[in-house]
Amino acid sequence: MHLVIINGAARPQSRSNTAKIIAAFRMGYEESGSTSEVWHLSDRAQWAGAAQAFAASDNILIALPLYVENVPGILLEFLAGLEPKTTPGTQIAFLVQGGFPEASQSRCCEKYLEKLPELLGCAYAGTLIKGDMFGLRLMDEKEGQELLRPFTRMGRHFADTHRFEKETVAAFAGPEYLSAKECRMFRLFGRPVQRLFMGRMAKKLGCTGPLDARPYSTGN
Amino acid sequence: MSLLIVNTLPEDRAREAVRSLTARSAHSRVIHTGPLNIHPCVGCNFCWLKTPGRCSIQDGYEELLKAYLTYDAAIFLAGTALDFVDHRMKDLVDRLLPLATMYTHIVDGQCRHVPRYEKKYRFGLLYDGEADRDYLDLWMDRVMLNLGGVSLGAYPMEQAKEAFPCTL
Ligand SMILES: Cc1cc2nc3c(=O)[nH]c(=O)nc-3n(C[C@H](O)[C@H](O)[C@H](O)COP(=O)(O)O)c2cc1C
Repeated sequence: MHLVIINGAARPQSRSNTAKIIAAFRMGYEESGSTSEVWHLSDRAQWAGAAQAFAASDNILIALPLYVENVPGILLEFLAGLEPKTTPGTQIAFLVQGGFPEASQSRCCEKYLEKLPELLGCAYAGTLIKGDMFGLRLMDEKEGQELLRPFTRMGRHFADTHRFEKETVAAFAGPEYLSAKECRMFRLFGRPVQRLFMGRMAKKLGCTGPLDARPYSTGN
Repeated sequence: MSLLIVNTLPEDRAREAVRSLTARSAHSRVIHTGPLNIHPCVGCNFCWLKTPGRCSIQDGYEELLKAYLTYDAAIFLAGTALDFVDHRMKDLVDRLLPLATMYTHIVDGQCRHVPRYEKKYRFGLLYDGEADRDYLDLWMDRVMLNLGGVSLGAYPMEQAKEAFPCTL
């Protein structure tokens, strides 16, 4: 079965975690002979093609980074410009990945995605959720592969079932909340570890000031 | 209570609501975002890692960032699409990132970014068009949780005169 994949990330394809995840997912999806195509909305030149692919396909996956509890503005702009389908038979599934580790962070967005397909004249086929993805694009090949392998597995699964069932998603998404032990560890070591690693990243980018600078402070 | 009104709608569509809101606040300012030509966030993370607190996109958004810090409360006037706010409003919200630092901490059992400023933001939404109000309320709560602030709720534009009763 052919799958149209729309990448709703704002970051250019070469730097997008979503793009990397889609590539891993496709590998699994296409293993048993299914086919797929990808459209990246960060490149506005692809919007017309993506809209045509949406109209012509009955099997669609929209992959996106969580942006302030919902879809990125550019994805919303694209979706709002689509012509809703008038004949039944199209399904849309979603893949949401975010920076925070807990699955609970994606639930507000998931709630919206559950009803979005209907507004586009389509049926809902589930939402795959994964957190803790911020660092993906900064990892070396080996570390990255480790993180991406489960998406290849889910691609295989989706080729079989054409759905992300709630139970499968729950097992894949990992803990809904951090455990008490994780919270304790975070409180003890989070700050110094973050200062070290984020400080290094910032230095690489040429940042010279503190990461908690207040350039527009009005005494706040 | 000083009030910032951020209007993302065509000015004539927002006129009545702006009038109602300004009449209910002793000190207010209206910013119409149309002329500011605000772009979507590009996810560069420079506001966290390269120029902390400043967005790399050179458009009119900086004026808004400064205004959020100056006023006690902000009300956004937004259009709707697909039962939600439209992309103009969502772009504004995505661009709030410079108000947080990249550092994270745990608040009520969930990870949050450490706010950049010691400011209790109070943001409310007045929407024009069809939308799921319960969902917008939920989303605004979550948005404000991320900023360490409070949501003043989401109201349809027809209720501009009596919306946000505890604040205005
Ligand atoms: C504007 C903006 C808003 C974000 N909002 C959230 C959020 O609400 N929750 C979350 O877990 N991650 C959030 N993130 C983190 C991204 O979802 C995460 O880093 C993702 O892996 C980026 O994917 P991409 O490289 O394809 O853009 C946000 C990032 C940006 C730039």
